[in-house]
Amino acid sequence: MSAPVDQEQIKSMLTAHRSKMKRYLSHCMHCSLCAESCFLFTKNNGDPQYMPSFKVLNSLGKLYEKDGRVDRAFLEKIKPLVWKSCALCGRCYCPVGVDVPAMIAFARGICRSQGVFPDDEQSWL
Amino acid sequence: MIVAEKKPLVEIAEMVKPYKKVLNIGCGGCTSICLAGGQKEVAELTRELTREFGNRGAEIQIHELTIERQCNAGFFDILDGMVADYDALLSMACGAGVQFVADRYQSKPVFPALNTSFVGFDKDVGWFEENCRTCGDCVLGETAGICPVTRCAKSLFNGPCGGTRSDGSCEVDTDTRCAWYEIHQRLKSQNRLDLIMKVRPAREWVNQMRRSLIQEPYKDRYAK
Repeated sequence: MSAPVDQEQIKSMLTAHRSKMKRYLSHCMHCSLCAESCFLFTKNNGDPQYMPSFKVLNSLGKLYEKDGRVDRAFLEKIKPLVWKSCALCGRCYCPVGVDVPAMIAFARGICRSQGVFPDDEQSWL
Repeated sequence: MIVAEKKPLVEIAEMVKPYKKVLNIGCGGCTSICLAGGQKEVAELTRELTREFGNRGAEIQIHELTIERQCNAGFFDILDGMVADYDALLSMACGAGVQFVADRYQSKPVFPALNTSFVGFDKDVGWFEENCRTCGDCVLGETAGICPVTRCAKSLFNGPCGGTRSDGSCEVDTDTRCAWYEIHQRLKSQNRLDLIMKVRPAREWVNQMRRSLIQEPYKDRYAK
């Protein structure tokens, strides 16, 4: 059985950046302009799962929604979204200034804090 | 990608031994992918250093953190809030990342835990091969996608040199294929053999100078 996650640690990380991250999450207008600037979205023939907004809303957004009360299975579930689906190239454009790379990096940080990160032999892209 | 390898443990320990509290910082970029400086390697080095200093009876605390990229200011938020608590920083990024960290936290001594080796690609899991020496004047379009700077033992731009062996290997090392033999063969198969006769002028070897690069669409933005 895999080790339980430290929900208090996750909660405290979320709290430390709550103001900025919640602002970003609430400011997303779902305009999809970030999608057009994402090379992985283009490369994957417009698969909605590669939209930068989809990636952050379904990873960091869910973490805030659940206020950190998540289990390891949840972190494993968002792992492909924050690693495999994003190269952190920083090119995603947002007309209202939502910093998508900062949000993905933060979600990765939360996963890392619980030992969830890509294995050596997993493809990164 | 940039490929790096870990320095010997003793060398790293010697660098950080004067300090009481050291933060070991991993990089989630290239050095993670080449299995030298990612979260797993950071945890491993932290354990090794803790054991090493424990054996020496030295009271040094080594803590760890991996950020997504050490060569981009956008990923330093978490680190910014932690650095003040440490006497020194150990970076498991490439040389660029180490310098970026050192520039950002100028009051803290920053040490490299890795030797930055080369730009290359994955041959297999954990096996990387150099294929680009970042010479700044790419000729791959004329050499059938085979880099003579990296793959020719003499880095010749006008080859072959005459040291090609009958089996297509290099006179310098028989285990290495002659880059210019390979270039000849590939150009021939592409019906572009005329390119082998082209005399290329001496290179400027711009990699002898410090370089920066602004991509064309961004030049206006940074124009002085």
